[in-house]
Amino acid sequence: MILKLLAISVLLLVLSCRADYDIEEVADEEYLGEGHHSHDLPDSLQHEESLHDHSGDPEHDAGEEHAGEHKERLEDEAVSGHQMHVHQPGERNHGTEWFFNQPWAAKFIWGKMLRDSVVLILLAGLITFFSGRNRK
Amino acid sequence: MKPVMTFALMTMRSLVRRRTIWGISIVILLALIGIGQVPGYGTTNQGRFIIDFGLFGLEVGAFLLAVGLASNIYPRDRERRTIMPIIAVPLSRGEYLMGRFLGAAIVQAAAILVGCIGLMIVLIMKNHAVPPDLFPASLLLVVEGWFLLAVVFFFSFWTSPPLNAPLTLFLFIVSQMSVLDFVKLVPGVPGLMRVIRLLLPHMDVFHIKDPITHGMDIPGLYFLLAVLYGLSYMAFMLSVALAVFRKRDLK
Amino acid sequence: MDSLPIEVRNLEKSYRRKLGLSSFKAVDSLSFELHTGEILGFLGPNGAGKTTTIKCILGLLRPSKGYVRLWGDVPGSGKVRRRIGYVPENPDYEDIFTPLELLDMFASMRRLETGRKEHLELLERVNLSGWESVRLRNFSKGMRQRVSLALALQSRPDLLVMDEPTGGLDPVAMKEFRDVILEENRRGASIFLSSHLLSEVEAVCHRAIILSKGRKVAEGTMEDLLRTEDRFVITYRPPGGDASSEPLEKEVPEAVLQETIDELRREGCFIERVNPLYRSLEEVFLSATESAGGGK
Repeated sequence: MILKLLAISVLLLVLSCRADYDIEEVADEEYLGEGHHSHDLPDSLQHEESLHDHSGDPEHDAGEEHAGEHKERLEDEAVSGHQMHVHQPGERNHGTEWFFNQPWAAKFIWGKMLRDSVVLILLAGLITFFSGRNRK
Repeated sequence: MKPVMTFALMTMRSLVRRRTIWGISIVILLALIGIGQVPGYGTTNQGRFIIDFGLFGLEVGAFLLAVGLASNIYPRDRERRTIMPIIAVPLSRGEYLMGRFLGAAIVQAAAILVGCIGLMIVLIMKNHAVPPDLFPASLLLVVEGWFLLAVVFFFSFWTSPPLNAPLTLFLFIVSQMSVLDFVKLVPGVPGLMRVIRLLLPHMDVFHIKDPITHGMDIPGLYFLLAVLYGLSYMAFMLSVALAVFRKRDLK
Repeated sequence: MDSLPIEVRNLEKSYRRKLGLSSFKAVDSLSFELHTGEILGFLGPNGAGKTTTIKCILGLLRPSKGYVRLWGDVPGSGKVRRRIGYVPENPDYEDIFTPLELLDMFASMRRLETGRKEHLELLERVNLSGWESVRLRNFSKGMRQRVSLALALQSRPDLLVMDEPTGGLDPVAMKEFRDVILEENRRGASIFLSSHLLSEVEAVCHRAIILSKGRKVAEGTMEDLLRTEDRFVITYRPPGGDASSEPLEKEVPEAVLQETIDELRREGCFIERVNPLYRSLEEVFLSATESAGGGK
């Protein structure tokens, strides 16, 4: 029984880890193709985007991005609200920003965090139980 | 629970008498003062800059506190043999781990929350509004710090303190990398790298400085779930640490 | 009926050498038991495996082979730990605390109901009155050992495990320690006493085990260990001797005992008693460890 539980929890962990918290990994085609500015957009926006091309650098926001040249973009975003903002597939899209500006994202993110949590708690319980039993 | 809480209290008293915690706290304080001195590029942007840099500083502070506080607790207990009379009689190994962890976690949380209050004071002194989500965002960093603390305890049971810090730093960095970036580290085995990355924690969920600086609404449910996720991963790491510790001989 | 406070069966503990390529046995095929209400001495030269055995008894080390049971339960279980008091070889407690703080915290960790009054009495019992609020970092080794004893006695344990408890103590303190051990035994506690000090073991123990190179080389009651099997002492008075003078003694091997008695009687001597010859524990210890090839 316990072995079955362990197998199920490992399976759940693997399943729950099938996708990253990355918009390009999880968004449907329809959401990636419209209503956003991206690297493929017209020149004017392309220029703006290139100024904050920090994809792949998780600590980008702490860097020079905010030191001046982004003033315009930041002011613009603050005014224009939560527009979708996409980088190349597989790359970070402004950290966690997309969690909150995509209508479909909430369901995915909330569900993933809940499922991961349940699986991790289950695993923690099993590991604690088994390591205690083995000691005896 | 009483034995664990008593031992946690003992741990706290022991930790606050060490220099490490005070050294890290002074660094965080100086960083906050420094952030307040940076000239702004318009009122709005300076506020954002302070929040962005301040939360980033607390993130790094959480990492430094985790390593500084916990990496030497168990090795020191072994070296000075203070662990023997504790494990021999009053506490089980699980209670020892929980007591030490809780004591360090309370000290770490207090340091991060003091940092958050410092950040708020800097914002107020510079005439910027304090975003309502700043405090919950700091709480997420506290949870992230606890997770890192659990990782440090896990490493401390089978490595030396000089190795513990780089291993934790490595995990801290890769846990913020995207799958693609992680695969690039060893491009020869993309499948394996992808699986490894997906099994590693996703620390992004604790970092919401961008949405805050951009003035987004962050649902309360998100905070709850992120805290749940962090505490679950922390519990998982602690259970693995306990499994390793239970196998250790205390020579 | 309560089962044995300590039962050790075929205990073996091996340690890996550097790089893990080979190992050595610190304890080998060790079996013994401690009975309820007994004081058992555990003797051996340095490196004989005494501390390793104690750590296995306390659950700090996992046996490589064999097993240890305390009242039939595994070492380290909560039920067992509540009944034990432990005096370590080196009294290592966090030295930022005072004895009173340590007693308070240990009481809380053991879920004891004892309060400040009982703790002060305990400190008085181990001769630390007036030192209750001084941090341990200012204490000598002997004083720390007293704190350690106070902590061990705090829960009125059914079993006291003592690893070289009098190391670093002056003769007066050693005598006080011995008195406390005997008091605790009279209260009903079983005591497992590992020591280098043969006189100490001889003075307080009912039974002793001698260990050498991880193996048991002698075991028995103090009477059995000290008594020689083949030599006797004949106490007698010569003919016409003054009744108030000291009687004479003659040490003889068992083979000629009867012959010697008959001869003395023929000479008109009065035989007062014939006793087995008793050796000192030191002699027993040296002979047992030397026959096993020394300590190291």
